[in-house]
Amino acid sequence: MQNFKSIEIKKEEIVPIAEKMRNEGRRLVMIHGYVDKEGQKIVSYQYEVGDTVEAYTVKGEDVLPTISHIYDASASWPEEELHELIGVNFEGLNMKGRLFLPDTMFEGKGQILVTPLNELVKKTQGIKE
Amino acid sequence: MSYVIPIGPYHPSLEEPIHAKLYTEGEIIKDAEVFIGYNHRGIEKLAQEKNFIQTLVLVERVCGICSHSHPFAYAQAIEKIANMEVPKRGQYIRVIMAELERLHSHYLWLGIAAHLVGYDSLFMHIWNVREKIMDILEAISGNRVNYGMIIIGGSRRDISDDLRRNILQVLDEFKAEHEKIKEIILNDKTLAMRTKGVGVLPKDIAINMGTIGPHARASGVIVDVRKDAPYSSYEDFEFDVPVVEDGDVFARVLIRALEVDESIKIIKQALENLPEGPINLGMKIPKVPAGEFTQRVEAPRGQLIYYVVTDGGQTNYRVSIHVPTFKTAPTVPYMLRNNTVADAGLIIASIDPCFSCLDR
Repeated sequence: MQNFKSIEIKKEEIVPIAEKMRNEGRRLVMIHGYVDKEGQKIVSYQYEVGDTVEAYTVKGEDVLPTISHIYDASASWPEEELHELIGVNFEGLNMKGRLFLPDTMFEGKGQILVTPLNELVKKTQGIKE
Repeated sequence: MSYVIPIGPYHPSLEEPIHAKLYTEGEIIKDAEVFIGYNHRGIEKLAQEKNFIQTLVLVERVCGICSHSHPFAYAQAIEKIANMEVPKRGQYIRVIMAELERLHSHYLWLGIAAHLVGYDSLFMHIWNVREKIMDILEAISGNRVNYGMIIIGGSRRDISDDLRRNILQVLDEFKAEHEKIKEIILNDKTLAMRTKGVGVLPKDIAINMGTIGPHARASGVIVDVRKDAPYSSYEDFEFDVPVVEDGDVFARVLIRALEVDESIKIIKQALENLPEGPINLGMKIPKVPAGEFTQRVEAPRGQLIYYVVTDGGQTNYRVSIHVPTFKTAPTVPYMLRNNTVADAGLIIASIDPCFSCLDR
């Protein structure tokens, strides 16, 4: 049986929680993100604790500290992806460039998830032209 | 002499597009970079526009090889949010399909590995034996890929007693062939010389990078969602999680051969003890309240993660899909270092990558 527990935290708690989890040998399952109906960016740091996924959620922040120095590629890839998808900036993250999207799209940075599909089509056509 | 050698995004030894830059000194790779995103189809974005039934069809098309694992994970996330309990028979049929998928996926990759090391007769033999599994999948679902066996609340099609007996018989034949293939893998000098000590990923690096699935288990990391956080009645079955310590390409070949034995065990137990009763809760469009859930499934390549957020409406608010290759691809540059350029294609392929899944 798999379980899920969601806990809201503040931005300052991200790094201490990541360090605690790492010291306890917990696996970082994933960092997920989306934009809620009020336009707030939601970033969810999810750790494996036994058969439960503990989700530590930060709301409404545009800039977050990286935890890639604690969880290596396990954190840096999701952080790069979230930068592309919803435009969150991660302080201290060594960005390689674009992970999924072309460098030319959206002037090289994010928001694909919150851009309406018809606008995305126009922007993609713009690249082709 | 230093060179930068680009491999891909389209290359004969790559089944799907990925771009790797190799920084070399003569024949030796000193460093490497990996670039992905050549198959990005915006599936997560599209899932936000679809209802729960449509999303099942959509996510089944994230990948052609693990096309059962995706709706399996998605449906369970929705069922958890909606507090639905799938009938036991439905859960067992889901497990049977998942393990058959593991068999055909592992055999597909074992064949490719044989082909990449230049052992084409073994490649053709492995793919010939794999057809037995493809036939079973077709007999159960009507399809060789995109089985459409998952609905919200259970399985779409039942397995009759006749079919059950046939599958058990074919599995015995498959097992006998697998023993012969395993013997070749364990004892063949060509395969060993080409794969042993190549593309090594030590255990501590595998843990540090958070890698998962057979890729991690080939580096001595014990991780398997089916044991760590069982789902869909996996706790009912007796099976082992094989682990190999060496972390090289040979270990990745071996681990898949060993995992095939365990999958056969699970399928046989599920078929022999298939519970009586309904296979699903009915084919209605589900009422799903607002909520969120992260479901993990052990897909053939490792942990598949679906984070689903609903708002009480008819569509998903967010479907976040993270596939095993998302956790295994970052290890490629490390594994390439200090190997020869000739082994680059083999090392990249040794993670059993699915870039179509990864880019989604």
